[in-house]
Formats: sequence, structure tokens, C-alpha cells
Amino acid sequence: MTMITETATLTPWTFGAFRRGLAAGLPFLLSYGLPGMVMGIAYRGSGLDFSTAFLFSLLVYSATAQAVTLGLWSLSPPIAAMVLATMAMNARYLVMGAHLRQLFADLPKRRMLPILAILADASWMMTVAEADRGRRDAGYLLGASLPMATGWIGGTALGYVVPLQPQGPLAIAAAFLPLAFVVTLLPTQWRGTGSLLPWSAAAATGILAALLLGPSWAMLCGGAAGTLVSLLRGDDA
Amino acid sequence: MPDPQALAAILAVGATSYAMRAGGFIAAGLLPQKGLLQRLLKLAPGNLFAAFAAAGMVEGGWPNTIGCLSALLTMAATKKEWAALAIGFALAALTAAARSQSG
Repeated sequence: MTMITETATLTPWTFGAFRRGLAAGLPFLLSYGLPGMVMGIAYRGSGLDFSTAFLFSLLVYSATAQAVTLGLWSLSPPIAAMVLATMAMNARYLVMGAHLRQLFADLPKRRMLPILAILADASWMMTVAEADRGRRDAGYLLGASLPMATGWIGGTALGYVVPLQPQGPLAIAAAFLPLAFVVTLLPTQWRGTGSLLPWSAAAATGILAALLLGPSWAMLCGGAAGTLVSLLRGDDA
Repeated sequence: MPDPQALAAILAVGATSYAMRAGGFIAAGLLPQKGLLQRLLKLAPGNLFAAFAAAGMVEGGWPNTIGCLSALLTMAATKKEWAALAIGFALAALTAAARSQSG
């Protein structure tokens, strides 16, 4: 008997999922917008003109890479060092992209590659969680990613032109939202008590990497350590 | 417009950033879709989430830690993301306010 699964026959890009992703991603307008404003303020403070600041957030769209390259900025920018720093900061996207290929192997590259330009940590996590719930759809990825990119790029422009210093408890809580979203996704990945050991290894290594190498290494190093523990143990938890 | 040197730097960094985003997707298509790679990609998200959350709590201090724990407990109890996010946001803000007053 031949079984055809529902997910295998469905188009992995629907407008309905795009709208759901857009709705789920709307809170990120604020949580990406506020750090984006901070980046805009930093660009202005460093003497960059508005178009340079705006293009940075539009084309690079990476808080960690932009922060590091801003630290390297000079009258004659060291491009090679900036490229290396960006590769290091964004290496985690290689893992995310490979995982997305597994989810959306049947989607034409011409549809997927443009979406990846605005791929964000949170939208990837949300899309993976959706797929785990049986709702595999690249429309959701695009929908969830749009408010994040809009918030970041718009926030940079706003922060540059409006002399604001976002601070205080509400700004701290807004900046915390992406982390909160990850925490709410954790249960979707829980595979029983077998997950305890690899997740502990991931958390401990992530903290160490954040302290020793910088926050942008935490996810990559910790994730690699935890995954290695699972692989060496030979199970799927 | 940025001067040519600044524009060259932005384009180089922007192209690198996109290459990292698209590179994993393109390269994975050249690799076998079964076996070790498939297991690795199945196991990776949970471990990446755990590492991200742990480092974020340490980096953000008490507001992030209290916010995360309350969001996790609310999610476990209600299975509703909006409730978990709202409770986590509120408690992170309250913790930050309390600490700014005591500090």
C-alpha cells in the first residue's frame, strides 16, 4: 500500500501562512525597532551620514555584524576585516539555511533565496516551530520576517533623525521580547528527559561562549556542543 | 550618497551577510538529505534555542531571567504563546523597574 502524506502534496508557500506569519511577527516591529533606533543613534554619533546608516541596516541587516563593523569603521574602512567579522558573527545562518533547505527542498530557489535576505533568528525559530506543528510553509517565514526587517531598518532611520535615547524598564522589556519568543518555542523541541543532557551542554557552552567570545557566538557554539552530545550518544533527543 | 570607500565597505559586508544567509540553503542541496546530516539538522534547533536562551538570560541579567522563567512557566501551563509573551514582558519590565529604583 502506498501512503501519501498531506505535507508532501501541499504547496510549501501559501498566502494564508504569510498572513499568519505577519500577524505573529507584528510584536517584533517594536522589539526590532528599538534596537534599530539605538543602532541609528550610534551611527549618527560615529559621524556616518544618514544614507550610509540606512544602507547598512538595509543591506547588512544584522545587529551583531553592524555593531562590530561600526567598531572597525574609519576614514578608510578595513573591508577584509569587516568581511571576516561578518562571517564570524553570522555563521549561525549557515545552520539555519541548511535546516530550511531540508524543510523546503521542494520550493524553487527563485522563491526561497529572496526571502533569505530578511531571514532573522526569531523568524527562523518561529518557522521551525510551525513546521514541527505540521504547518510547513515558507509564506510564514516571509510574513514573520517582514515586521522584523521593517522594524530594524525603519528603527535605524528613525533613531538617526530623532534624537531619542530609548531606555527605562519598557525599553529593556521590549529588547527582551525576541528572547521570550525563543523560550516559548523551547517546549516544541523538547523530546523528553533525553533532551536534558544535550540542552544542559548547549546552555553551559552558550554561556561560556557569550562570556569569552561575545554574545553572537553563544548560539552557534552552544548549539554545536549540545548537538554533538546527542550525536555521540546515538539517539534523537 | 556614501563616499565610494564607504559604499564599497557596505556592499562587501552586505554581500557577506546575504551569502551566510543563503549559503547554508544552497550548500545543503548539494549534500545528502539522509543520514548524519538529517539527524544533525533535526537535533540542532532545540540545542540552538537552549544556548540562545541561556546566554540571553546571563547577558540580560535579572529582567531577562525573570522574564524567561515566567514566560516558560506560563507557556507550560497555558500552551498559549501570547499569554507567555505578555507575562514575560510584564515581569521583565517590573523587574527592570524594581532594580532601577533599588539601584
